[in-house]
Amino acid sequence: MSIALTPDAGLNPGEAAKRNDLAQRKPYIAAKLARITEMEERGEISPIIRLEKSYLCNFTCTHCSAEYYMDRHLKKVFQIVDERRKIDLDDIRRISREADELGLARFVITGGEPLVMKDFDEVVAAIDPDRHYVITDTNGWFLDLAKAKHLKSIGVEKVQLSLDSMVEADHDAFRNKPGSYKRVMRAIDAAREAGLNLILSTVLVKGRAKTDEFRQMCEFAKAKGIGLYVSYAKPTGSCTEHPEFVIEKEDADIVRELEKEYPVFTHMTPSYGSFKGCITVKGIITITSTAEVTPCPYIDFSLGNLRETPLKEILARGMRNPWLGPHRPDCLIGEDPQFIKIHTERTQGRTHLPVPWGQGFSDHDSLQDE
Amino acid sequence: MFATADTLPDLSLFDESGRCLPKGLNAPAHARSRRYFRLQPPRLDMPNLHARLRQHLGAGQGISTQDFCTRVDALRANLQADPHLAAITRGIGIPFILPRLEHHDVGTVLDKRYLPAIASAFGQRFPDYRFTSHHTRPLAGLLGVLEGSRHERLIEASQEREVVGLYFPCLSEYSVPAALEQVARLPDNFVLAGGYDTSAALVACPELLLRTDGYPPLLWLSALAENGKPGIGYHYEAYGYNLTFNRRPHLGMAAEYWSHGLSVLETV
Repeated sequence: MSIALTPDAGLNPGEAAKRNDLAQRKPYIAAKLARITEMEERGEISPIIRLEKSYLCNFTCTHCSAEYYMDRHLKKVFQIVDERRKIDLDDIRRISREADELGLARFVITGGEPLVMKDFDEVVAAIDPDRHYVITDTNGWFLDLAKAKHLKSIGVEKVQLSLDSMVEADHDAFRNKPGSYKRVMRAIDAAREAGLNLILSTVLVKGRAKTDEFRQMCEFAKAKGIGLYVSYAKPTGSCTEHPEFVIEKEDADIVRELEKEYPVFTHMTPSYGSFKGCITVKGIITITSTAEVTPCPYIDFSLGNLRETPLKEILARGMRNPWLGPHRPDCLIGEDPQFIKIHTERTQGRTHLPVPWGQGFSDHDSLQDE
Repeated sequence: MFATADTLPDLSLFDESGRCLPKGLNAPAHARSRRYFRLQPPRLDMPNLHARLRQHLGAGQGISTQDFCTRVDALRANLQADPHLAAITRGIGIPFILPRLEHHDVGTVLDKRYLPAIASAFGQRFPDYRFTSHHTRPLAGLLGVLEGSRHERLIEASQEREVVGLYFPCLSEYSVPAALEQVARLPDNFVLAGGYDTSAALVACPELLLRTDGYPPLLWLSALAENGKPGIGYHYEAYGYNLTFNRRPHLGMAAEYWSHGLSVLETV
């Protein structure tokens, strides 16, 4: 008969301790993170910036959302080379400054596999780890203890590590990389020993939420005290060839129930007292290797190119777009059939992604579009 | 099934699904809806509704189940007799009774009476799921009634007697300012829904926001705002199979996911 109350600001004691530690070491970043709630009350946003400087990867995963951006895909499927100008360290420094001026506080280095980038350390420095909270995605292949300690030493705060099954053979098959499960297990221990914050990331395909294997992964995350980020399979990238992977609401609702028992969450899970729903633009943007900004990792429509348009205007375009800006509880590209259809039609046959501003998204978009 | 739009008279203020048409409004509202976020029409078993209102909210002490049915039927009949208004009854309308309460502070009443009633009603109906209030501060002294909402009429009436009404979540994809504009064009017994009526509807019908095959809309307590902060509101929202109460900025904007309610009260 009682009403459950969530703790103040949505921070559990563990998160509060991490925030306090960050405030000691990097007070400028901690202050920016603490201002996000008041920014949201004013209608301002503070999305995480995912930076895809390079799509090089040592894996060929079945569900890769970045596959269609990769040189290997363009060569194999279209027999072309991407001649578009790529972002460099000067671009990243400028983007970091623009983001800082807007109060944005978090960068995720992603790819491809970030840890194969020869200039990874320079990229971290260009982002400026004293001004932005730096996270890196990784498949874990190269993340041994020495590498983890090195990441920590150059200012990386957090690692997001992909794990797609608790069944070793299934993970390796999904990742098309024998031995990758063992490397993930090694990477978990290495990251923790090096003092990096760590979350596991796993892709939820239709029906998986009900399986014993998924429950085992939740148990594993709970036992290790690690957050488990669940990313719905989206009908983009390599998954375009696997529409059967796309989840139904029941799958999402099962995960919502599991959140009560396990440290499991999706991008729609309320976090730190913030209830954004779908985080397109409001909570995340992606900068591609050609300086295009997309509203989430899985939507291949650009909101603008940072060499032509300031970040502030690009974010404003996103927020006034009827698909992206308004609050909604579901995953736009993972669950809304009408948007999925539009996205599939407008990306079909495209050699160069993302679709430029004006051809995918535009200021004329309407929810009534077919 | 809904009738087709062309069977409605031109003067209807509501469409074939019971949505109030946002014609000629100045504030943001979507002219058309693709009905992506929608409620599953609940089964309205009047004795059960009455029993829940009585058990969990203490409402209907002086109103028998038969009286409740009769008065709700009369409300519906009045609406159906008016060609401007009849189509509202094609949408979802939840009968409610508000208990007579002497307390004058809306926030206190929500905290002490209505939110616990929802927790109790929802918990009884869905023992495996939760009602969660994500708002941790007391609401006492925090909330005011928006000017132009007519909602003060509902509150004043509930201080004098038990109030019977129908709650229609029919202002889908409106901003709060647009909802205020719209209510001014409707008959005097229509008020913009706020805390008591929306909550009573959820006590009567705890499954209102439960949908398994898609997503229901968020329901604003639109007639209420934080004192001095008209852009901040309170709402009920599903989270999977669970129900939540929360606060968020709406900043006068419209969203496909957001809906507001109209309550139709008995004329006295």
